Amino acid sequence: MDFLTTIVTILYYLFIAYIVFILVLNLIKSKTWEKEILYIIVLIPFLLRLFRLK
Amino acid sequence: MNMFTYTEIILGVMVLVYILAKIFKISTELSMLAAALAGSLAGGFGIPPRQIAEGSITYLDINLIFITATLFMNILKESGGIAFVVRGILKKFHKNRALLLILLTFLLLVPGALTGAGSVTVLITGGMVAVVLNYMGISKSKTAAIIFIIAGLSAAAPPVSLWAMMTAAGVNMPYVGFFMPLLIPCVVAALITIFLLGWKGEDTNIEKALQELPLPPDKMNWFKVILPFFVFLFFIFMGRQWPHSTPIIGLPLMFLFAALTSFLLSPVKLNFIKISRDTIEQLLPLIGTLTAVGILIQIMTLTGVRGLLAVTAVTLPVTLVFAGLFLMMPVSEAILMYGAAPVIGVPLVLLFNTIGLNPIVALAGLSVIWPLGDALPPTAIIGRLTVQVVGYEDSYTKFLKTCIVPAVLIMIIGTVMVIFSKHLGFLTGL
Repeated sequence: MDFLTTIVTILYYLFIAYIVFILVLNLIKSKTWEKEILYIIVLIPFLLRLFRLK
Repeated sequence: MNMFTYTEIILGVMVLVYILAKIFKISTELSMLAAALAGSLAGGFGIPPRQIAEGSITYLDINLIFITATLFMNILKESGGIAFVVRGILKKFHKNRALLLILLTFLLLVPGALTGAGSVTVLITGGMVAVVLNYMGISKSKTAAIIFIIAGLSAAAPPVSLWAMMTAAGVNMPYVGFFMPLLIPCVVAALITIFLLGWKGEDTNIEKALQELPLPPDKMNWFKVILPFFVFLFFIFMGRQWPHSTPIIGLPLMFLFAALTSFLLSPVKLNFIKISRDTIEQLLPLIGTLTAVGILIQIMTLTGVRGLLAVTAVTLPVTLVFAGLFLMMPVSEAILMYGAAPVIGVPLVLLFNTIGLNPIVALAGLSVIWPLGDALPPTAIIGRLTVQVVGYEDSYTKFLKTCIVPAVLIMIIGTVMVIFSKHLGFLTGL
């Protein structure tokens, strides 16, 4: 059971890393300042979780 | 200066900055963020990084559900699954208007119910259902109204209802027992809407409708459409059947497995990264709103504004609250979008709980009314999106007028659920 729970946790971290990658890709390609700010704000919680700060 | 005056000034600053930001045509998400930062400055807390970080992560789990569910729906659409289902239903049931309308209603309800976002319903099935409705002799304004109202109801429908989830989280109430109290009014109201606006029309012009609908790939079949849903349902069943020997997988991972199944079964080669990027782009206003709302609520708590609103709501005359629900809910949604749930919903649920109503059923009632505000300015995101997807080019006011009758019925259903929530408590199954 512990092993499976660890797998699930790892999968979540991998998925969050993937979302961060996609968010950064979209941030680089975005053309308006409003979208850029929004992408940066949206990135905050995902980075906090990815780096295990929250 | 006493405590109330201090928090009222901060609230005033936040409201003023929000209005100014909207006047300068800044998006709702950034306007809420500006209001939060202004409130913090006015309260003498400067720009507090810790509170911003804490607030931004509040709705991370809901954002994950949003992203994975929409990714699943987008993969299903790109693989031709949605077009296959719409064409299949049309071919089989075009002679039976009532059955066709019922099936189209469920087709509209599923994407929003799974993702919690009305915009996903509009984007995934809305366009194709609109084509069918048009060839059933239903006018564009009525078609747009049907798609908008049912998209809103789909967002409120279970298993994922963001208004209910966010409000429940705000009052430390588990998101349990909401399934039937949300499902019944949403399905009933959706069916009433489609029959009210779509019953009168002409015989379905199947040839023209099929010509306009996208063609699914040759190798697409019912098995490939249904299996990903079975994978999702299997994980839910597994968790409930063997709770002590199954790890907690969580809705995001369940949706992700369903999305991967749909991706692997797709008869056409799909670009996973492109679909992911489009999904994030499509959801940016919504996940941005949830992140900004988290920060706003955190700052409101820090400065005492949240407490002020809660105390004010709890001491309001109950009759006034009941009588004002039909106005308060849509207007708060139009201004704050999902932010309306933690800002307005939380104090209301506290009030309902205080006076002995059933908070689950009452919150479900509120959740049914909230989506109606998505057609109202200043935001009107889903309303405008619907009009665009349906190809309705007449005046926006005419579209709003077409929505009035079903909207009033939904307001009545929601308000009745709140008032009689105690008697309807059996729906929760708790």
